[in-house]
Amino acid sequence: MEPNAIHDLLCAKLGEAALEYVDSYEKGTVIAAAKIAEAATLLRDEPELHFEQLMCLSGVDWDGHDAEGKGKSVAILGYTEEGKPELSDRVGDGDLGVFYACYSHRHGHKYSLFVRVPRDAAEVPTVSHLWPTAAWHEREAYDLVGITFTGHPDLRRILLEDGWEGHPLRKDYQMPAQWQGVPLEGRSYAANPFNEADVVLPTKPEGGQG
Amino acid sequence: MKKDYVESTTPPEGYDPQREQMLDFKVEEDLDKLCETDSKNFILTTVDELFNWARLSSVWPVTFGLACCAIEMMAASATRYDIDRFGAGAFRATPRQADLMIVSGTVTAKMASRLKRIYDQMPEPKWVVAMGSCAIGGGPYFKYGYHVVKGVDFIVPVDVYIPGCPPRPEVLLDGLMRLQDKIRGRKGKFVQPKWVQDYASKIPYVKPEKGR
Repeated sequence: MEPNAIHDLLCAKLGEAALEYVDSYEKGTVIAAAKIAEAATLLRDEPELHFEQLMCLSGVDWDGHDAEGKGKSVAILGYTEEGKPELSDRVGDGDLGVFYACYSHRHGHKYSLFVRVPRDAAEVPTVSHLWPTAAWHEREAYDLVGITFTGHPDLRRILLEDGWEGHPLRKDYQMPAQWQGVPLEGRSYAANPFNEADVVLPTKPEGGQG
Repeated sequence: MKKDYVESTTPPEGYDPQREQMLDFKVEEDLDKLCETDSKNFILTTVDELFNWARLSSVWPVTFGLACCAIEMMAASATRYDIDRFGAGAFRATPRQADLMIVSGTVTAKMASRLKRIYDQMPEPKWVVAMGSCAIGGGPYFKYGYHVVKGVDFIVPVDVYIPGCPPRPEVLLDGLMRLQDKIRGRKGKFVQPKWVQDYASKIPYVKPEKGR
């Protein structure tokens, strides 16, 4: 089926839960977050659609990408004399999102679903009971972007270690100084490493081994 | 231009060509005097040198590949470069049989505790080679790598640093030979052979700009 027809079908079945049609490279529909499991069930079980494969599930931070310019990323303004980056002090307030890319092997068509949730209450119903591969993808989205998937059987961090603070792919994430006693900050040889005049390389000691 | 080496046509006093040929290395003069006065020291030093020779001739690395540098490490141990020519081809599957750890790749914060544990499990004497810019100082992850330890020398002591991203197998072999020099306890500056010096003097040399 054509993407427009899929969107019309979703609108007919879901009503107001199908918010808008996304006409980008990945054609898709923005779904209300509470209805995403029903929309995914429809995509998988409807005989005309039959999306039996979930190709990818990604967590997205939309901070700074809104049409009205709401929110911007944390920017590096410059460098202090100690070599620490000076960050803009704004806190991200844009939405978070989830992107579902589905593919049908029977019909050979693909379609996408989008979900936008507010940053404060980033909760999305799980689809791991529909596509089992979504379980790991949702753990990754939880780990790196910080989206809580309600109903997930085992929602833990998958890449970072347990006890890590924060979600690193959020735009307002601040890098930790150390982890379990191991420093994560580098030793800089210059105040501004991009200014070649500041860079003083360590000299070779006298009488060193050749 | 200041020379890094000393050229002399007349041999120094007490120079014995046979003795120099027998010993691959030059014994320090103070040590020579000590050996003449006390025979115990002479025997002890010789045993140390023998042990060091045995150690440098069969450096067994632990199988520990972290990232893309490990691919170059595998290439160095394969047929074309064959790190086994230098006695370091027996990659052990357990740190308890190994005495060299080639940290080949990015050390993440999650891997740091595991790396330290593997290093602690290796028996003494043991050496560490930091291979590639990630293991030396974070590499491309230096600024924004929230998960990367900026240099493996935050965790374990490092003997030889091998730059490159990733280093070619020849560079790994060169780093291994520098490690062997270190194990041998060779002192003094590395002097190139005469034919290398002559060849290098004929290459047109462009002086780099100041400040680089």
